[in-house]
Amino acid sequence: MTTAALRLDGVSVGYSGTPVVTGVDLELRPGQRLALVGPNGAGKSTLIKSVLGLAEILDGSATVLGHTPARARALTGYVPQTGNLDPDFPVSVRQVVMMGRYRQLGWWRPARAADRAAVREALDRVGLADRADVRFGLLSGGQRQRVLLARAIAAQPKLLLLDEPFNGVDAVSQEAIVRVLRELSAGGTALVLSTHDLAVARDLADLVCLINGRQWAVGTPAETLTAKPLRQTYGRSAIDLADGRMVLVEP
Amino acid sequence: MIEPFAVPFMGRALTEIALLALICGPVSVFVFVRRLSFVSDALTHTVFPGVVVGFVAGGMDGLATGALVAGLLTAVVLTVLTRSARLTDDAATAVVLTAMFSIGVVLVSRRTSYTSDLTAFLFGRLLTVTPRQITETVALAVVILIALAIGARALIFRAFDQAGAAAAGLRIGRLDLWLNILLALVVVAAVRAVGTILVVALLIVPAAAARMVTDRLVPMAVIGTGLVLAGGYLGLLLSWTASLHYGIALTSASAVVLMLVLAYLLLLPVRLWRDRRRVPPIALQRKSPHELVG
Repeated sequence: MTTAALRLDGVSVGYSGTPVVTGVDLELRPGQRLALVGPNGAGKSTLIKSVLGLAEILDGSATVLGHTPARARALTGYVPQTGNLDPDFPVSVRQVVMMGRYRQLGWWRPARAADRAAVREALDRVGLADRADVRFGLLSGGQRQRVLLARAIAAQPKLLLLDEPFNGVDAVSQEAIVRVLRELSAGGTALVLSTHDLAVARDLADLVCLINGRQWAVGTPAETLTAKPLRQTYGRSAIDLADGRMVLVEP
Repeated sequence: MIEPFAVPFMGRALTEIALLALICGPVSVFVFVRRLSFVSDALTHTVFPGVVVGFVAGGMDGLATGALVAGLLTAVVLTVLTRSARLTDDAATAVVLTAMFSIGVVLVSRRTSYTSDLTAFLFGRLLTVTPRQITETVALAVVILIALAIGARALIFRAFDQAGAAAAGLRIGRLDLWLNILLALVVVAAVRAVGTILVVALLIVPAAAARMVTDRLVPMAVIGTGLVLAGGYLGLLLSWTASLHYGIALTSASAVVLMLVLAYLLLLPVRLWRDRRRVPPIALQRKSPHELVG
């Protein structure tokens, strides 16, 4: 049996001893795509941070690629929300992607041809090779998100975690991101992404985990994105359409 | 216009400023990208009581030791406060800043030479820089620049994207402490020459002014250094000319800082012009209405 990319057994996570999400049980195999679905403030980001070893695991056990979360950091990649980054920061697209190589580079070693090639290839994969010398903040929201994805790819992670990768992203960029994510999982990289877009989850994920303070359901999109678990997760913002599909509306 | 600098004390003052320029260009870039202007300000104020105690205990030599102790202590306290404080960082920093500054003023007011001492501590004695002081600044410059070069990569990653840097395995707390200690060392290096108040200008203005004309980090550091050099030269020349030819006593460190601020103001329109020139390409990049939300 191959090692699970991610295994959470009865996990509760939070900060300073206060739980944000409780009772998460799931297993993700290499190459699988997991969508964490839930409303704002459901604890999706906290759960992602706990897999990175940056939020406390208060209960249960978490195994990332056979290690504890903190020890697995060299094997995991993280794509944060672009909205949290300062668009005025004086740094070029190329420099941002090179940050993905810092772990290989360490403190001192200057970037070699192999590092520059990895950066170029990563930018090429997200379709932004021609923007390498532009300042990061001058790109659109969707392009910034693709740059951060390129940064994560440049580190060649075995498990990639993305926090709301489609938030404020235009259609062209969304398409590019989805294509790259499919390629990555075809290559054996396990993916965890948080989203509140049910269509994205249904389309992209092998596995969906519905959370809002606790885990409400986990399984294939067909099993989980149905009336009962969605209503449990979202309350009255989940609306059952006549044809059996579910939509979410603002409360 | 090099003739005034043939006078030994003017030459030493310029040398000292040149060394500080070498340090403050790169260091100010990190202050800028980490948005540590207020922390730098706090650091310069909290060093003040250390300076006073050091001076009372051991004269000009004790001054640097006092500044070093107070600076390192503050670096640690500020790092801890900004890491763990549930209350806002600004409030905590401001409390530390004003408390320490008041203690400094109380301490200095017990001395008979109150006014002249206070002026020296606050605004420095650029024209009485000794060769030994220059040697010490050289040593500090070497330490600071090496430490900065080692940490640069990680410090920039952390400044740009704290969550990403932490996820990549960088220890944020240690990096913050690293930078705060570096800032403390810069304050120690500069405090005798330019005083506790004016050193904050050297930590903030060079990179802020350089940012007006460039989007790149390394050019920012180089231009920052250039601006301090130019400001130092012109400021010293100005105070020399003012006192020699017009009988106006102009504190030389203040003149240097004024020149630096003048550079900032002169470069401000460049930034506005660059920003205006840049708007159309962004609008053109938008391929679909969805992109407007990005």
